[in-house]
Amino acid sequence: MFCIAAFIVLLVMGAVSAKYRRFARIAWGCAVRRVTFRPCDTTFKQDLKDHLLAPIAVRTPRLVKPASVGLEVVAWLVILTTVWSGYTVVKSGLNLYVYGTCNKENAESCTLGAEACAIPDQTPTFWGSIAEFDVIGAFGNEFSSLGETISQIPTRMQNWDATEYLPANETYLTTFDEAKPTALEVIDPGCQFCRQLFANIEEAGFENEYNLTYVPYPIEGEDGYKFPNSLLVTQYLEALRVSPVDDGAGTPVDWQVLERIFTGETDNGVPFQSRINGLDTDAATALLDGWLTEFGLDADEVATIKSVAASDEVADIIASNKELVEDEIHTVKVPTIIFDGRRHDGLVDVDGLK
Amino acid sequence: MFGRHNSAPRTPERAASARASRTAPHGRAARAGDIATDRLADFAYLADTEIYLDAACQSLRPAPVIRAVTDYYETYNACGGRVKYAWGKKVDEQVAATRRAVLSLLGLSARTHAVSFTLNTTYGINLLLQQLPQGRYSRIITSRIEHNSVFLPTITAARRLGIDRVVLDRAPDGALEYSPTMLDGALVVVSAASNIDGRQLTNLTELVADAHQRGGTVILDAAQAMAHGSALLRATGADAICFSAHKMYGASLGVVVSTLDLLASLDISFIGGGMVSDVRETSFDLVTGDPGSLLEPGLQAWGEIIALGAAVSWMGTVRPGGQSPTAHVTQMSERLFDGLAAIPGLTLVNTTAAPVISMYAPGQDSHRLAVFLSQSGIMARSGYFCAHHYLKDHLALPPLLRLSLGLHTTESDIDRTSAALARLLKGLS
Repeated sequence: MFCIAAFIVLLVMGAVSAKYRRFARIAWGCAVRRVTFRPCDTTFKQDLKDHLLAPIAVRTPRLVKPASVGLEVVAWLVILTTVWSGYTVVKSGLNLYVYGTCNKENAESCTLGAEACAIPDQTPTFWGSIAEFDVIGAFGNEFSSLGETISQIPTRMQNWDATEYLPANETYLTTFDEAKPTALEVIDPGCQFCRQLFANIEEAGFENEYNLTYVPYPIEGEDGYKFPNSLLVTQYLEALRVSPVDDGAGTPVDWQVLERIFTGETDNGVPFQSRINGLDTDAATALLDGWLTEFGLDADEVATIKSVAASDEVADIIASNKELVEDEIHTVKVPTIIFDGRRHDGLVDVDGLK
Repeated sequence: MFGRHNSAPRTPERAASARASRTAPHGRAARAGDIATDRLADFAYLADTEIYLDAACQSLRPAPVIRAVTDYYETYNACGGRVKYAWGKKVDEQVAATRRAVLSLLGLSARTHAVSFTLNTTYGINLLLQQLPQGRYSRIITSRIEHNSVFLPTITAARRLGIDRVVLDRAPDGALEYSPTMLDGALVVVSAASNIDGRQLTNLTELVADAHQRGGTVILDAAQAMAHGSALLRATGADAICFSAHKMYGASLGVVVSTLDLLASLDISFIGGGMVSDVRETSFDLVTGDPGSLLEPGLQAWGEIIALGAAVSWMGTVRPGGQSPTAHVTQMSERLFDGLAAIPGLTLVNTTAAPVISMYAPGQDSHRLAVFLSQSGIMARSGYFCAHHYLKDHLALPPLLRLSLGLHTTESDIDRTSAALARLLKGLS
């Protein structure tokens, strides 16, 4: 193991200094023999260890033996950390390619991909399982996750057609035009990046180029939902799509609600999205009811929407949407928008939308 | 079987102290840890913190030898041999003087012997053995303790000549163990001194006489003998003596001193410029009147040859500690042998003191010990010293640690080395 560790260390040192490259080549010869289960045919390992131990031998010879054991332990640690690092790099690279984030379990922690709200993986982490002494589970989950990522590689190369993933009762921001392609975004009403995406969409005039629809997807958290009122808003949105109301404005009321959340502000300049995220359920419900009234719905219509929002039908739609997002679109980032033959994970800037 | 395994409670420090009281030069008692103050000025470049104990591989060069090489390169670095200009003539004169000095050192005459310069001892032995004529010898005799420079060429020469090769033992005193009948028409190739334990070919004179009486030839590997044991070689009548200038304070160079009869018998096949007087399309004439040139194809290492002359001259005049070189080295050898013998856990291959002492510590890797000693500024050799058959194959010994002395060596060097080794082994055990 020592010569393998030495090769790893010398390879790194050789990258910055030519004087180590000769030793790295020698170590490589030794390492190749070791990894092919043949004895190392050079004295490289011994030479290197002896030179490292020599200063100790001169000062305190009796410490040579424990120091030698220590070097072997360090060598093992170097190898294990290198193997783990290599594995992590490969896995992260695959995740970045497939999901647009190097950390599939917590997409927000990866700065390499586009900004987004992460759909957290509820599977216990590797070290979490280890901490609970579930070694088999730790490796099982780890490699299962890797296998899933690998199995999704082909989806990156496929031609994404938004119409294949449309939710029930879809509505469009602008009047549907068969001549235009369809774009589908996965959004959580409480996610700040969805608000930014909506702003970018408007700035880019994206809605004029595409028939833009959406799948509302309230991101679940460890305890309830990531944004407390996302489910409530989603229920309202789906209720408005199940029982559409023609207010004469042209823009579906559910889109008007979204537009208000993503672009509107309170009297004192607080974005409504932030406001809703900070309200309790009753206050949020009252706010939404007020908006519906403002958008032209009478009291009966508001009552109907409230009733439908709480219905099993809407619950089923939300559950269906959840399966659509997680099992078919297979994204781990919100927002995700499908257009132009691709699945764009995370926030897309104005130029990207043009 | 051999060697001394030490378990005596006598400490190296006590041994060093006892020795110092009886052997210290200039009336100064040397102690372990002392910095050398009595080193020859000719080795002034050797720092006090550096202890060179690998003279069996290559001796340190004294200042006069270094100056001779430098002088050649700085003032007349021209070709020798068949030149008409001043620098070349000066080179020729110096080279001729070196040949005379070598013959004089060995007590030989240019009427019977010639000096040839080669690359090293191995090269010289090969030049002789690979050009031996077919049918001249009945067998090749060598000994078990030989350096690969002898051991291997005797194998290939025997194969080429289609004759037997006989490997004999050497007695603890270094004598070759043979019966005279073995020498009938035999070619004997042996070392005059071992590079493992310094044991000398004590029955050399008898061996040569017996061989010659029975039509045999004796070629000596004198690489380890020339520096401090040339007295053994003087006028012994050996047919060829091969040695290295770099093991006797000269620059890197090989030397073959051979009888004119042996040279005349060779089937010269390794040939080139400097060896011929005339060349035709399909034949050539070898130089006459310069038999040494038969082993000197191509351009010679003029500066190194000149340096050898300076080395021989220096060895004839230097007086380390007011003693002869032999006396100094003998004293140092005994001091080192005593010091090492007192270290518990150290097994000496040597049975007696010699300028070359090999050893091992059971359970400790000699290569590791060499590295650890190096950390203390002590330069020692580890391994099998090109005597794999004897040490590894025959005796089944682990790699050894070897300390070899020279005229640069001081008592302080010896004592510090013994103390360092004792401390290491005590801590590592």
